[in-house]
Amino acid sequence: MKPTIFLLTLLAGVLAGCTEFITKHEFAPNMYEEHPMTILVLPPINKSTAADAKEYYTTTIAEPLTNMGYYVFPMEVVNEVLKQEGLFDTETMFNVPPQKFKEYFGADAVMYVTILEWNTTYLVTSGSVNVKIASELKSTTTGEVLWFYDDRVSVSTTGESGGATGLAGLLVQVATTAIKTAATDYVPLASKANQTILLAMPYGKYHKGYEKDRAMKIEKKKQPAEQAKK
Amino acid sequence: MKNLIFILSTVFLLLVGCVPPETTFFWGDYSGTLYAYKKTPDEKTLADHKASLLLIITESPKKKLPVPPGVYAEYGYLLVLEGKEDEGLGYLDKELSLYPESRVFITRMKQAYQKGEGS
Repeated sequence: MKPTIFLLTLLAGVLAGCTEFITKHEFAPNMYEEHPMTILVLPPINKSTAADAKEYYTTTIAEPLTNMGYYVFPMEVVNEVLKQEGLFDTETMFNVPPQKFKEYFGADAVMYVTILEWNTTYLVTSGSVNVKIASELKSTTTGEVLWFYDDRVSVSTTGESGGATGLAGLLVQVATTAIKTAATDYVPLASKANQTILLAMPYGKYHKGYEKDRAMKIEKKKQPAEQAKK
Repeated sequence: MKNLIFILSTVFLLLVGCVPPETTFFWGDYSGTLYAYKKTPDEKTLADHKASLLLIITESPKKKLPVPPGVYAEYGYLLVLEGKEDEGLGYLDKELSLYPESRVFITRMKQAYQKGEGS
């Protein structure tokens, strides 16, 4: 029983936490002033050690962001237009005044994303992904920050061993893990990570909760200095 | 051990329960096929991704949902790249009529392709 009690205590600690909560309206008042409808997501800056992190991110952001109620420009086509403007390099794009993207795309806001961590762990019996992403949304009208957030999400690829125990079970699990940690299986995990972070965003006009989420509580984040000076 | 597993499962369910999936749009396997195409761009992965886009276009009305932002535009763009300009431009128009806020973007794309400057 002891481990159970320990676990429960630990859990209570985690749940109660030292996190501070704030309403979406208090956290991002400018979002409710400007009501951006269209969001341009720029290719992310990848500070993680995973070479594939950028692709995982760009292919999984449209779904959760549109489901939050925003018009999101399709990344594949966006890259083409950026090239036409002579913008190939992500760092360069991040230094373009946000107002320019109103001119190029008709975007109300630009999302700047930095992938801070993207760790895939392969153990004998499990695979997991730890992701830390910082997002910042800027107005293309004022150039000001409308919303920002960062979060660390951890998702595991195992957990479906079906209650198998003993050596045979272990073997089954190893086989399952080997299959499940194939590259494309990280796509749903990346998607989940994106979705989790975006839940802290006020809803856009295509979401049924649009304009009704001012009082919704989210975990308060401090704007990282590194993000702020951009 | 059984207890532990039970508690862990309960906790997991609770945590998942805190985050109800909000489905405003139907995206099928968009992310999966796009990732495969970006990773290994060839005829097969491109065909798979196009099939994915087309499935979203045909399934959304059945689910009484609008086609998600950008899907018509991306499908039209891929058709134009294949040389099917008229059909492709038709999909760009569909994007514009469903999402008027895409006007600047769509107008720009159409101008580029009509001038024959595609890709």
